[in-house]
Order: sequence, then structure tokens, then C-alpha cells
Amino acid sequence: MTEKLLRILYVEDEPDIQMVAKLSLESIGGFIVKACSSGDEAIQSAVEFEPQLILLDVMMPGMDGPTTLKRLREIPQIATIPVIFMTAKVQPEEIKQYKNLGAINVIAKPFDPMTLTAEIEESWEHYND
Amino acid sequence: MTNSAVEFEEKMRILVTSFAEKLPAKINEIELMWNQLQVERDTDTLEALHRQVHGLTGSGKTFGFPELSIVARELEQLLKGMVQNNSSADEQLTDQIQQRISALKIASKESRTDISQKMIQSPIADNLVTVFTNDSRLIFVVDDDEEAAEELVLQLSYYGYEVEAFNQLDTFRAAINKMPNAIVLIGVEFHEDKLAGIKVMREIQKDREHPVQVIFISAYDNLNYRLGAVRVGGSAYFTKPINSSELIDHLDSITLQQEQESYRVLIVDDSSAVLGYHAAVLEQAGMTVKKVLKPMEVMETLLEFDPDIILMDIYMPECSGIELAKVIRQLNNFVSIPIVYLSSENDFNTQLEAMSLGGDDFLVKPIDPHQLVSAVTMRVRRTRLLRSFMVRDGLTSLFNHTSIKEQLGREVVRSARLNTPLSFAMIDIDFFKKVNDTYGHSAGDRVIKSMSRLLKQRLRGTDIIGRYGGEEFAVILMDTDAPSAAKVIDEIRHVFSRLLHLSENEEFSVTFSCGIADLSHFPDEKSISEAADKALYQAKKKGRNQVVINSDSGGED
Repeated sequence: MTEKLLRILYVEDEPDIQMVAKLSLESIGGFIVKACSSGDEAIQSAVEFEPQLILLDVMMPGMDGPTTLKRLREIPQIATIPVIFMTAKVQPEEIKQYKNLGAINVIAKPFDPMTLTAEIEESWEHYND
Repeated sequence: MTNSAVEFEEKMRILVTSFAEKLPAKINEIELMWNQLQVERDTDTLEALHRQVHGLTGSGKTFGFPELSIVARELEQLLKGMVQNNSSADEQLTDQIQQRISALKIASKESRTDISQKMIQSPIADNLVTVFTNDSRLIFVVDDDEEAAEELVLQLSYYGYEVEAFNQLDTFRAAINKMPNAIVLIGVEFHEDKLAGIKVMREIQKDREHPVQVIFISAYDNLNYRLGAVRVGGSAYFTKPINSSELIDHLDSITLQQEQESYRVLIVDDSSAVLGYHAAVLEQAGMTVKKVLKPMEVMETLLEFDPDIILMDIYMPECSGIELAKVIRQLNNFVSIPIVYLSSENDFNTQLEAMSLGGDDFLVKPIDPHQLVSAVTMRVRRTRLLRSFMVRDGLTSLFNHTSIKEQLGREVVRSARLNTPLSFAMIDIDFFKKVNDTYGHSAGDRVIKSMSRLLKQRLRGTDIIGRYGGEEFAVILMDTDAPSAAKVIDEIRHVFSRLLHLSENEEFSVTFSCGIADLSHFPDEKSISEAADKALYQAKKKGRNQVVINSDSGGED
């Protein structure tokens, strides 16, 4: 049986986007969301928050999404937590590349705040199938 | 609307407003950085500019500025080239970039008016209430072969379509501009031009935001024609002589958005306030809800209401939700029904135990209304799909023998209780074996499908139609006594007898016989179905192609 998705660690540098996504995930999805504004912050909060899923923006200043993923994978407690990338680049080969890095899905930006939750739920179910 | 939905929208609106307010400053900054780059080339500035634009690409549409996302993406592509090649912009590129920056300014103002509109639409109800996207069943047949056009018009009208024939392209052109929702069935070749049909459609589709639905007919099966048809939006291509069964299938798939029955939810909760609240949330999303306050009353409701899903409280007097789920699971009809517990139980172990004893999921109260609706929707959708494989006939997707009998039992009980009429009709295609022997089995299958399609189109949504056996069909007509049912079925009989079926270029027609019985003479499932069967036998004996009512409650022939 699929474990219910509840705790999401969300990494996004753009404050507007971060707020909308957080609101959408909390209000529509009923998730518990920990939002981080940088890869560094995510690495610091990950262990304590115990996320079931990590939502990672690709293009961030400083440490970008893929690098953040690599660093997160080095933390034993986080190493196996599924990751979804969010990106405005949605070329098929780029998606493939992100999936090769271990992402279970890639969500295209701009996203629709009304359906973001459904997209994530779907990825989660698919991952757990 | 529920409180949390209002709250969500309120917060959303604040975020959107704040985004919109900051937008001019952001675009200003983009312009400044770009101007600075004109004066002095600097990698850091270029990268910052690229990032800023990228941010707009990824956010505009989310906040109700779709145009902004599009323009920003174009600008981003232009800048990306510069970043990668580490080059300066030539005159042409500079122009393009300037142009996009101006476009950004416009886009940031344009969409603002309808943001609030976009965000206010409730996400819940829209998905669930069935919408007929194309309620028009109007069809334009365009062919300069008048006879062929007339024949097509006739055949289509039997299936409940409103059809108009055009032999001249000019009159057709004028008509479609007035009624762009009509479905166009047009020939490829006309006297004046071998490709006139395709050409006229190209011209009609050119400036349309929503293309006209078009199907092409031709005497030739050639790739060039087919390509031309596809390029102007043709959804199908039929060669003459037209297989009308396939044509109707295709038309139906375009027009007949099968009306889905609303989701049926049974809620068991001993607190009437909580019960009422959850029921209201689900009803608002278009579902049919049955509320049960006393767990001991679940059984009787269960059989009659036939829910798609059961939501129940865990802690209730008399018996717990967990026990109740166990009992329900022991009933044959409900082995696979989803059961979801609603409880303030936060303890993970209790949840696990509850689920191992027959529940499927656990929602912790207070439950967010969106979450409740989406949890229920997801499960019902899946269950219905699975169930459709078990209860539907493969060829016609009507109910199969077992499930139509089950439904008859249920509807008889319900009608008897409500004291409303109900009729049961058995239909059998005449000399069907001969059809198979003469024209082949695939022609026979098409006749069966035609019959099924006609019943679906001509009967009401509340009538229940099943394929009883090979060439035998059964219909349960609610709120209808035998004479009224006979009238309806007789009309269908009349239409059916005039349908032309096609086999190997030979056309033939078929008839059916029907026997009807109603609840006022035969008050239970067994007797009503036997009586309808006897009446069908009578209809066959009297010479077929007719409808016979059994009103002899004595049960003799």
C-alpha cells in the first residue's frame, strides 16, 4: 500500500514562486511543507525535517538543483528520498538528464497552482507503484 | 463555498497582487541591465539578466500572466545564445531583444485585469460535474452528389443527429460561418476541382481559434488526399461506400460525451454535525451522498444505495468502524468497495490496524475539503474503471447479463418501496443467425453495435440497458409503465428496421422483437423477467418485428 505523502521539503530561491507553491501544497494538498531558499539551507534542514519527498528547483544562484541533489544524496538519511525537479526548461533531453540524476519526475514551470498538488500526488503514486 | 477554500483564494489573491505590483520594477531592472550591457560587456551582468528573465518565464503564468511567460521564454532563448557563445549582440539580435523587452512591459499590464477571475474559479467542482462540451448534434453533409448526400442525411438522422445537406460550396461556406459548432462531413472531390473539399476547409479553418470539426469522404483512398485532409484538421477519412457503422462510431466519439453518473458516497458518522459537513463538501463537488447516523442501519442502506465508496468514522457507539468494515467486506457485492476512515485518530498504530482490517485509507479530522474531495475522487475513479471491466459487455460496453440482473433486482426493490412504475423489456434481433450466415460474423457484430447505439441514443440516461446474450438485449425503464415503455421501444423498432447495414458492398436491414412487462402486474424480479421473456416469445410467434406487452398476471400464455 502506498504510504501517504505528507512531508515535503521544497527548495526554491524565487520568493514569489516559493510562496505560491507552499500555499498551494499546504491548502490544496494538505501537506506539511518546509520551504528553503537555497541548496545550503536544504542540506542543513533535511535531516531534521525528515521529508518523504524533495521538490527541487533546477536553476538557483550559488548551488543549483542538480548539485544540491548530489549533496543531499551524500547524507545517509536522505540518500533514498525521492526528488522531483521543477524547471522552466522542459526540453525532452533535459528531462531525461534530470531523471538520470535520480529524479522521479520533472514538473514544468510555470506551474498551475491549482493542479500542482495533483501532479505531485500522481508522481508519488507512480513512484510507489 | 467552504471556509478553507475562501481562505485559500484570499491568500492566493494577495500573492498575485503582490507579484503584479513588483512586476514593473522587475522589468525595469531587466531593461537597466540590458542598457548597461550595451555600454559595457560584462559576464556577471549578463548572467544576472538571464536569471532574472528565467525567473519570469517560470512564474508569469502561475500568477495569471501567461503572455509574460511566453515572451520571457523567447527573450531567455536570445540571451542564452549570448551567454553560451560569450559573444556580443549584433544589430539584429539587439533589435530582437529590445523588442522582447517592450513586449514584456505590455504583457505585464495586459493580463492583470483577468487575474482575479482566473484565480477565483473553484478547482473542485469543475472537474466533476459532467459537461457536454459539444451539445450540438448538428451535422453538415457537403457533397455535390445529391443522391449520396440525401442517403447519408437519412441514415444519420436515424441516430438522432440533426443533418443538413449542401450541394454547393458557397451555401455551405455561409452556413458554417454562422454555425461553426456543426460537424462537417465533406467530400474531397467536387466537379469544379479534385480537391475542392480540402481547399474550402483550409480557407474556413485559417483564422479560427477553435477549428471546425471535419470528417472527409472520398471515392479514393490515396495518401495525398489523406494528408491534405489531416492538414486541415480532418479527424477521420472515409472511403466510399461509407461504412455507416464506423462513421456513427466516430461521430458518437466526438459528440456523445457519455454522461457520467455522479459519484455515490455513503458516509457513516455518529456526529450529525460532522456528517452534515462532510456531506455538504462532497455534494458541492457534484457527488450524491447518503448519510447514515447509526452504524446498525448501514446494511439496509448499503444494498439499495449501492455506493462507490464508504467513508466512516472509527469510533461510534454500538459498533466500531473497524468492525463494520470487516462485516461489509464479507458481503459478496462489496468485497472491492473502497472504505476510508475519517477519524481524529492520529496514532499511527491504530491506523495501521484499521487498514489491515479492511479499510483502505485514513483521513485525519479535521479534513481539508479539497483533500476530502480529491481523496474520494481518486478512489472512485479507479474503482469505477475496474468495475467497468467486470460489469460491461466487451463489444457494446452495455451492462452484461449478470450485472443487468443485479440492477433489475435493485431497481425492483427501490420502485416497489417508492411505489413508482417500472418496466422491463427484453429485445431479440430477428433471424440473427441468418445475418451471421449470410453476411458474416463481422457484419453481425456491426448489427449488434448498431442496436446498442440506437438504444443508448434513444433511451433516457436513467434507463438501464444491457446485452443479455448473443443477440438479446434487456432494458430497465424507470418511472415507466408497460404501455409507455412499449411506445418508446416501438419507435426504436421502427427506426431500427430502416437502418441500412453494410457487408461486402451489399446493404441489408434487420428487425427486432420485444416483450415488455411491468411492476404493477409482476411485483418481483423473477416474475417480471419471466413475464417479459414470455411476451418476447409471443412477439416472435406472432410474426416478429413487433412489441408485445404481458399484462397477464396469472402467468399463462
